[in-house]
Amino acid sequence: MSAVRAAGVRRTARPSRVGPTAVLLLGALYALVPIVWVLTAATKSRGELFSTAPFALGTGFVQNLVDLSTYDGGQYWTWALNSLVFAGGGALLSTAVSASAGYALARYQFRGRDAVFMLLLAGVMIPQIALAVPQYFLASELGLANTYWSVLLPSIINPFGIYLACIYVRSSVPEETVEAARIDGASELRTFRSVALPMMVPGLVTVFMLQFVGIWNNFLLPFIMLSDESKFPLTTGLYLMLNRGTGTPALYSLAIMGALLAIVPLVALMLFLQRYWRLDLISGSLKG
Amino acid sequence: MKNAQRFRVAAVAAAAVATLGLSGCAGSSESADEGTSAGPVTLEYWSWATNVDQVVEGWNQEHPDIQVKVVEAAGADDMVAKLLASVRAGEGPDMAQAEFQKLPSLVVSDVALDLSTYADQFSGEYSKGTMSLVTVGDGVFAVPQDVAPMVFMYRRDLFEQYGLQVPTTWDEYAALAKQVKEVAPTAFLGGYPDDASTFAAYTQPLGATWWSTGGESWNVGIDGPESQRVAKFWQPLVEDGLVDTTHFFTPEWGTKMNDGTLLSWTVGTWGPGAAISVAPDTAGAWAIAPMPSWDGESQVGLMGGSSVMVTKNSDHPQEAVEFLTWLNTSSAGTAGMIEKGGLFPASTLGQEALAEQPVPEIVSGQDDFWEVALTAAKDTAPVTWGPNVQVAFDTWGDAIKQASAARTSYLDVLTATQDAVVADLEKSGFSVD
Amino acid sequence: MSRQLRPRIAPWGFLAPALALFVTFLLIPIGYAIYLSVVQLKVDGGAFGIRRKVFVGLDNYVATLTNPELLASLGRLAKFGLVSVPLTLGLALVFALLLDLPGIRFGRLSRTAIFLPYAVPGVVGALLWGFMYLPSTSPVNFALRTVGLPAVDFLGPGSIYGSLANIAIWGGVGFNMIVIYTALRSIPAEIYDAAHIDGATEWQVAWRIKIPLLTPALVLTLLFSLIATLQAYSEPTTLRSISSSISYSFFPLMKIYRDAFGTDDVSGAAAASVVMALGTLLISLVLLRLLQRRTFEDER
Repeated sequence: MSAVRAAGVRRTARPSRVGPTAVLLLGALYALVPIVWVLTAATKSRGELFSTAPFALGTGFVQNLVDLSTYDGGQYWTWALNSLVFAGGGALLSTAVSASAGYALARYQFRGRDAVFMLLLAGVMIPQIALAVPQYFLASELGLANTYWSVLLPSIINPFGIYLACIYVRSSVPEETVEAARIDGASELRTFRSVALPMMVPGLVTVFMLQFVGIWNNFLLPFIMLSDESKFPLTTGLYLMLNRGTGTPALYSLAIMGALLAIVPLVALMLFLQRYWRLDLISGSLKG
Repeated sequence: MKNAQRFRVAAVAAAAVATLGLSGCAGSSESADEGTSAGPVTLEYWSWATNVDQVVEGWNQEHPDIQVKVVEAAGADDMVAKLLASVRAGEGPDMAQAEFQKLPSLVVSDVALDLSTYADQFSGEYSKGTMSLVTVGDGVFAVPQDVAPMVFMYRRDLFEQYGLQVPTTWDEYAALAKQVKEVAPTAFLGGYPDDASTFAAYTQPLGATWWSTGGESWNVGIDGPESQRVAKFWQPLVEDGLVDTTHFFTPEWGTKMNDGTLLSWTVGTWGPGAAISVAPDTAGAWAIAPMPSWDGESQVGLMGGSSVMVTKNSDHPQEAVEFLTWLNTSSAGTAGMIEKGGLFPASTLGQEALAEQPVPEIVSGQDDFWEVALTAAKDTAPVTWGPNVQVAFDTWGDAIKQASAARTSYLDVLTATQDAVVADLEKSGFSVD
Repeated sequence: MSRQLRPRIAPWGFLAPALALFVTFLLIPIGYAIYLSVVQLKVDGGAFGIRRKVFVGLDNYVATLTNPELLASLGRLAKFGLVSVPLTLGLALVFALLLDLPGIRFGRLSRTAIFLPYAVPGVVGALLWGFMYLPSTSPVNFALRTVGLPAVDFLGPGSIYGSLANIAIWGGVGFNMIVIYTALRSIPAEIYDAAHIDGATEWQVAWRIKIPLLTPALVLTLLFSLIATLQAYSEPTTLRSISSSISYSFFPLMKIYRDAFGTDDVSGAAAASVVMALGTLLISLVLLRLLQRRTFEDER
C-alpha cells in the first residue's frame, strides 16, 4: 500500500507531545476500567462482592470457577461451546458466501449487477429490529425455531461482508490475472478457487473476524430464537443467570466469572490477530 | 397456510445451499412423537423447575413405553412466548410448565388442551382452592405443580435483639415499621409491593377479584375497594421512609437482606429457599410466621406457583396426564420434586410429605417451620386470573416506581393498571363490562 | 460456446448462495412482517373465546403511530441517541486524530486498549457497567464515600440516559476510531507537507485538511452508529434487572419484543417493526447519498 506513510518521517525533530499522549492514555484507561474491575471482581466471593472495596482482590476465585463450571451440570461450558459453533461456523460460512458473491460483483459485468449491488447495500441498512420478530415466526412455521439452525442460518448472510469482499477483490485481484487464467482455459469456478481466492485471503480474514465478533456478541437473535437453555450461546446464557424469573435470585458471582471467561477468547483473538485485521477495508480507503 | 408452503421451499433450498459441508451440529426440531399405540412414546416436556430432569429419570426407567424428554426452558416470562409461537406452528412440546396466572392467556391463545376428561385421575389429590387455579371457564387446563402461599419471613435474631413483636395485623405492621426506625434507624421492617404479584397477593385475602367472568364478558376489578385499601396502606409508609423501596432480587436488595438492613420479607413459601443464595451470612437467623391480617381473616394470598399443561399439539395427552399425575401427586414423584427441586408441592400428599423434610437452611433454627407453612397452604384465598395478566403486571410494576419517585398517588397507579387491562382486553376482541 | 456464455451464467452461480440466503432471511421476513402488520388476532366471542386471525387493514399502523408508549419510547431513544452518537463519534475522531499525530507516545497501546471493548458483548458490557453504577460496588461512589461526599445515583430516572449512553460510547468508540484512523493513514503524506511548509499548526492541518478528507469515513461511522442506536436492546434489557428506572417499554425494540412475546400482540409488534425499518431506511438513504457522491463514483 503506497498510501501509507513511513512512520518515522515526520517524527524527527518534533517536540514530544505530552498533552495528546495523556488524552489517549485517559481514553485507554476509560476503556480498561470495567475490564480491570471484572478481573478483580471475579476473585471475590459472594459476600465480598458487595462488601469489599472495588478493585480489591478477594478470596473466591477458585470457588467461583468451580461453582460456574458445576452450575446446572456444566451448563456454562455448553453455552461456550454453542457460542463457538455459532460464531465459528457462522463466520466461516458467511465468509465463504461473501467471498463468492463479492467476487461475482467485482469481477463480472452482467445485466442486473447494479441492481443486486444496491439490493445488498440496502440490506446493510435493514435493522435487525425489523427482522428478528418476523424471522422468529417464520422459523416457527418452518419448524426451525429453537434449533441450532435458527441462529446459524440467519448469521450467514451478511450484506456488509459481501460489500467488503467486493471492495477487496477490486483492489487486490487484478482483472488481468483473472483474464489470463481464463485464457489458459481454466473454468470459472477454478479461476475463482485457485487464482482469485488465495489473493483474497487477507481481506477475508477481516470479513471472518468481523462476523465472528458480530455473532459472538449477538444477543437478540438467539434470545428470540431459542427456548432450550442447552442451546444458548454465552450472551443469552449470562442474561439468563441474571434473570431467572420468579422466585430465583440472580447469580451475580457466577455471572461475573462467566462474563470474564466470555470476553477472554475474543480479547485474545483481537490481540493475537491484530496485525491481520484489515479495517482499512471498512473505511473504504483501500484503493491505492 | 399456502404462504408457509412457499417459504418452506425457499428456506429449504437456501438451507441446502448454505449448509453444504457442515454436518457437525444437527438441529433437533423433530418432535419425535410419531408413536402409534405399538412403539414407545416420547413426550417433550418444557420446564424451568430445578433438577426436574433427575426426577424424570426415575419415571423413564420404570416406564420404557412412555419416555419423557425434559427441555430446560429459559425463565417463566420468556418461555410462554416461545411456547405460543411453536405450538401455533404445529411444533412445540407435549407438556409445558406454566405459572398459574399465565394459564388463562394460554387457554385463549389456543395452546392449552382441555384436560377435563382426564381430570378425575388427579383432581382428588388437590384441595378445591388449588384446583380452581387450573380451572379456566368450564375446563381444567393443567395439573398443579407447586403453590406459594404467603408467609411473613423475619429475622428472628434481630427481632429479639431489638425487642420487636411479630405483627399479626397490618396495623401492627405499620406501627412496627415506625418502631424499627426508632430502635434501629438504618434498618427497615420490610419493602413495599412494587411488583404486582406481591400486591395482588396482599389484596386476595380481602376478597379482591382482579378478573372475573360474567358469562360472555370480562369484569376487571383491579382498582376495586380492596386494592385501594392496600394501596392506601402502603403509600404513607413509603412517603414517611418507613419501608425500603429497593426492588427485590436486585443486588442492592440482596445486600440489605444479608447485612441486616431488612428485617422481614413477605413472600411465597419459596422465599426461604431463594433467600439463602442472596443472604448466605444469615443462615439460621430467620423464621417464618403467618401473614399479618387486614380484618382478622384467616385466608392468605398466593404469590407464585405453577402448573403443567398439555399442549393441543400433543398426540398423546393420555400418556402425558399419566406422567404428570405421577410427577405431581405420587409419593415417588413429589418426593423427587421436594428433595431435588426444593419445591413446595401443590398436592395434598406432597404437602404431607413436607413435614418429614429437613427445614431450609436459612430458617434452620425454627422447629415448627413446616407447620406454619402448611397451615398457610391449607387456607388460601380463591383467585381468578385473566387472559392478560402480563399487561397488568407490567403496567403496575412500571407505574408504581414512577409514582414513588414522583410522590404521586398509588390510587392513580391502580387506575392506570385497570385502564390498560381493559383497553387490552377490548383490543383483543373481548367484551368487558 | 463457452467463453462468451460463461461469464453470463457464472456470476449468478457465485451469487446464488448469497441471494438465496438474502431472500430467505431478509426479504421474506420483511414481507411476512408486512403481512402480520395488516392482520390481527381477535377473540371470536365469549369470555374464553379463541383468538383467530382477521384482516384489519391499516388499523395496526394507526394504533402504532398513535400509541403513547411507543412514542414515549422513541422520545427516550432520541434522548439517549443525542448523547451517545455525537460523543461516540466525537471521541473516536479525537482519538484517531491524536493517534495520527507525529511524536505520540504509547500509540499502539492506547489504540489496542480503546479498541478492546469492541470485543465485549453488549450484555457483558452492560453487566460490568451495571456493577460500576450500583451504590454498593461502584468505584466512583466508593471514592466519594471515602472522602465523605454524597453518592451519585447512576441509575435514577434522570441519570439513566447518561449511564446507558456511557455503555454505548464505551463499546462504540474503539471500532469507529479504528475506521477513522485507517482512513487517516491512507491519506498521502505529501498533502500535509505543503501545509506544514506554510507554517500551519497540527490543529489547522487537522481541521482544514484531515477532517474534510475524512468525510466518507465519518458518514459511514455515523450510519453505523445510528443503526446501532435504533437497535439498542441488550444493554437496557440487562440493566433493567438492577434499575427500576428502565421500564419494559423503555426503548422501541423492548416494546416490540414485549408486544410480540409478552402480551401476544404480534400484529402490533410487526407494524412497529415495519415503521422502525422504514425510518431507519430513510435516514440511511439520506446518509448514503452523501457517502455515495464521495466514494462510489470513482470506483470504476
